[in-house]
Amino acid sequence: MAEKPKVAICWLGGCGGCDEAVVDINEVILRVVDAVDLILWPVALDFKYHHIEAMKDGEIALSVINGHVRNSDHKEIAELLRRKSQLVLAFGACACFGGTPGLANLTTKEDIFNWVYRDAPTVVNPKGNHPQPKVSVDGKELTLPEFYEHVYALNQVIDVDYYLPGCPPPPDLVVNAITAVLEAKLPPKGSTLAPHKALCDTCPRNKTKPAKIAISDIKRIHEVEADPNSCFLVQGILCLGPATRAGCGEACIDINIPCRGCFGPVEGVADAGAKFASALASIIDVEDEEEVKKSIDTIDDVIGYFYRFSLPSSILGKKDLKKTI
Amino acid sequence: MGHYEPKIVCFSCKFGWGYLGDDAALSRQIKNWIPIICSGKIDSTHILDAFKRGADGVLVLGCPEGNCHYQDGNFEARKRVYLLQKMLEPYGIEKERLRIVLSTDPGGTQIPQLIKEMSDRIEKLGPLKKIKGKAALVV
Repeated sequence: MAEKPKVAICWLGGCGGCDEAVVDINEVILRVVDAVDLILWPVALDFKYHHIEAMKDGEIALSVINGHVRNSDHKEIAELLRRKSQLVLAFGACACFGGTPGLANLTTKEDIFNWVYRDAPTVVNPKGNHPQPKVSVDGKELTLPEFYEHVYALNQVIDVDYYLPGCPPPPDLVVNAITAVLEAKLPPKGSTLAPHKALCDTCPRNKTKPAKIAISDIKRIHEVEADPNSCFLVQGILCLGPATRAGCGEACIDINIPCRGCFGPVEGVADAGAKFASALASIIDVEDEEEVKKSIDTIDDVIGYFYRFSLPSSILGKKDLKKTI
Repeated sequence: MGHYEPKIVCFSCKFGWGYLGDDAALSRQIKNWIPIICSGKIDSTHILDAFKRGADGVLVLGCPEGNCHYQDGNFEARKRVYLLQKMLEPYGIEKERLRIVLSTDPGGTQIPQLIKEMSDRIEKLGPLKKIKGKAALVV
């Protein structure tokens, strides 16, 4: 019997939602485990990293990696899987763009540690203990992974062959991606395995959109009772659809929640937040300088809203760990 | 020694600024000058890119209010600039580092002067504060 291709599924700085998304493909997973040999999946199966270390370079056909890189442990595992794999798929918004944890890049490591281990009201830490990468206890040296200053997307740490965005990626795209790998029908290296257009293109509310959107009051979804059938932007509710890649299956839109951008920028765009800023500025229908300021000032946390999933891969926020360490 | 000369990138609309001036002479005077067909054409990405590549300030020159050749490109640019100022602040980039002026100057002689004014103001702010303090700003 011919040997089945080996597949690793691994999480770095992830919440587990992406692993859940793999299980969400339901009975298709039975076909997948028939066709491949799963050799690593920390959240579901008990394999050890030293099993991977013992493998030959390139022995794994595909590594599906989710989560961002925040510490030296994440980096080590990412590098190990890269070495042992023919293909690496960045799975989910964190691996593709840094994800929501990437917003921590607006705060320094020092501030984060001070809050978590000293200042937060629920913390009791009279000795002022902070985690250290190395500590000596009874003559023995204990180590912890080093917490980096920065949250990185996967391609800032290792070479990535394919991307599948989403928080988490939807089952149909997961199945498509796995099928493409198994049948060797993959697009050129570096492709995102999702549609190229913006979410508005597939949004069921698109037909309710007038020829020109003109808003003056900007609202957030919790401040109003949104009409479940008409375009959010027409209602003055911030929706990142114009600057976000389609493919999510409009899961949020269907439950009357505007797009928050987890699919990242559309094809060929580097910075989704900047594109959304351009789009939003165009539909703010006030001309007077003071009115413009007033209208824009009503947006709370502009950067957090526009870059909710993509700050570490934005123009100003991106950094390459491969070059810095 | 140690004198800090801010780098200013200037985008200017060709319909309002410097279209009668001597291009070659102006170009020699104005470093990092990018005349463009309408200030409304300046995408947020271009401005962020300028900061990423080391600009200490970005000056946008558009046509006077109500005088855009393409109806409202200058108003579009102004809205974009205000929105970007709010986006830049969390990175530690002060709003004074991005300025828009809506006016007209066919000869373009005011452009070096406006850049000088902006440069003087930014000199007081100092260079962009890299990484330290604001981890997100990676220049």
